[in-house]
Amino acid sequence: MEKRSYFAGKLLPYALLMPQLLVTIVFFYVPAGQAVYQSFLLQDAFGMSTQFVWLENYQLLLSDPGYYQAMTVTAVFSVAVTTLSLSAALLLAVQADKSLRGAGIYKTLLIWPYAVAPVVAGVLWLFMFQPSLGMVAGGLRRMGVDWNPYLNSGDALTLVVLAAAWKEVSYNFLFFLAGLQAIPKSLIEAAAIDGARPTRRFWTIIFPLLSPTAFYLLTVNIVYVFFDTFGIIHAVTHGGPAGATTTLVYKVFNDGRAGGDLGGSAAQSVILMAIVIALTAVQFRFIERKVNY
Amino acid sequence: MADVRLTSVGKIYAGSVPAVKDISFTVPDGGFCVLVGPSGCGKSTLLRMIAGLETITMGEVRIGDRVVNTVEPMDRDIAMVFQNYALYPHMSVYDNMAYGLRNRKTPEAEISARVAEAARILELEPYLKRRPRELSGGQRQRVAMGRAIVRKPQVFLFDEPLSNLDAKLRGAMRVEIKKLQRHLGVTAVYVTHDQLEAMTLADMLVVMNQGVVEQIGAPLDLYERPETVFVAQFIGAPPMNMIELTPTKGLPAGLDGVAGLPLPAAGARLGIRPEHLGVEIDGDARIETRPGDVRLALTVEAVEAVGAETYIHGRLGGDGQMIAAREHGKVLLPAGTTRTFTARREHLHLFDLATGRRIAH
Repeated sequence: MEKRSYFAGKLLPYALLMPQLLVTIVFFYVPAGQAVYQSFLLQDAFGMSTQFVWLENYQLLLSDPGYYQAMTVTAVFSVAVTTLSLSAALLLAVQADKSLRGAGIYKTLLIWPYAVAPVVAGVLWLFMFQPSLGMVAGGLRRMGVDWNPYLNSGDALTLVVLAAAWKEVSYNFLFFLAGLQAIPKSLIEAAAIDGARPTRRFWTIIFPLLSPTAFYLLTVNIVYVFFDTFGIIHAVTHGGPAGATTTLVYKVFNDGRAGGDLGGSAAQSVILMAIVIALTAVQFRFIERKVNY
Repeated sequence: MADVRLTSVGKIYAGSVPAVKDISFTVPDGGFCVLVGPSGCGKSTLLRMIAGLETITMGEVRIGDRVVNTVEPMDRDIAMVFQNYALYPHMSVYDNMAYGLRNRKTPEAEISARVAEAARILELEPYLKRRPRELSGGQRQRVAMGRAIVRKPQVFLFDEPLSNLDAKLRGAMRVEIKKLQRHLGVTAVYVTHDQLEAMTLADMLVVMNQGVVEQIGAPLDLYERPETVFVAQFIGAPPMNMIELTPTKGLPAGLDGVAGLPLPAAGARLGIRPEHLGVEIDGDARIETRPGDVRLALTVEAVEAVGAETYIHGRLGGDGQMIAAREHGKVLLPAGTTRTFTARREHLHLFDLATGRRIAH
């Protein structure tokens, strides 16, 4: 049943919508519109003159091999971070859901990383893996592993993936744990009597019932990976070496802020926005159908 | 088919009082055993121990000729119907019923035959493709039953399966459960706090209170010869009247004819069921008095006429304890009038005041 409210006047409903609308307009529609407008402009290096160039910025962008590299990096980065953080969080949540001694402390500790700012998280991981000073890096070197995120692009990508996933595990863990606790215990008991061993119980009963949670987290994680990992990349690798960790959002910053190409940067952010909107739409259309609410 | 044999079964949760203490009984093969008692009496714990969902701290549970104390629930050859039905919300009715068979690697052809058979018996055929949330409470209940019967287990376990249904449906499902159990000939253990359900379903009634068994027997035997005050007041509605008789304190006013009863020096409780109190109307003695009968003078406070019978609530001796009487037909006594109610000697129950146990008389 749908619940509807009825208002006597015409003004009240609009007044109630106002705060939310204002926030959306000021922080989304205005800057997004400005980005679209700017993506049609070309500015000289000193900001003295501005020229309207129609789609030239986009043409330049789409013929730039660096842009395609950033796309590939973003794809690899987002798949790796999302998979890693979701599966680690699920594993931890399933363990924390068991009645263990000290489960409360365990849960609290697992939630802490979420309170760490992205840049701090990046620096933490950098400290551990910095080739000449880091403890873990030192251990790897003694084991004969040639580890250097400053020079090796694979190492650099691995490091930012680990840092980004580690930070997101807490959030995912919280939601998975809440999802697990919402499953009635009698369902698990019924499945046990029905002859399903723990592994089968997990995949046929628990996991399908967690799928709404997993779907929500997938959407949130992808948006996180696309935008919020900027701080980590900036602190750890600056997008290097040789663009190996330059994701789309980092390239927007790099070309616009450091490169001074505001028009091109705006065009990139418009494309990035379109990609995220499309991804979210696809998720809601296709994945939601297979989700059991 | 198998019997269920409990020997000195007990359950203690870590650092807590025992939930279930020293319980022994045997449910014969094909028998319908009902565990009944107030909430927190340990009946559900006992059922879950039989199911294997709770560990057994003491004693031994046998299903057939096998001790199952450490056997996994899935290997005990039981099926359980839960209070909230515990249907898998993401599966169709068909898949809900087939799940247990698929886990046991039953061939698909046999699964569909068994599910079809269960659906036919339970009249679920039109709903096989639906999800549980698209069904009514009674239909969900039947799916839960179907999930139990397709497996053809040796024992059915029911954990208050009807308590989420409305009163009318509960009555209908009660009859269906009994019919189904007879038809399949499966041993059943059924937990409820509803004494009407317990009386109508059971071949064997186990009344529990605070973790111990108060009495075991056929429902009508328990009704006619309750061994303890608890059983006397738990079985039957309205509950049995209890009048405290302590010779040293003197008998309550308005009570006549108890002199011949073998009262212990420490005192006793006299139990009289409401339906065994007959009222005399306007001097026309419908009840001829016999020696040994007990007579109560009740001042009427409330009369509840429900058509076929009338419940009369009155105070013993004008200002004593409340006593309930149940009369056939319409007996519309005005409030404030005092009448004599008579109970036959053979309908009196005597219980020891201290232990609450029945005294032969």
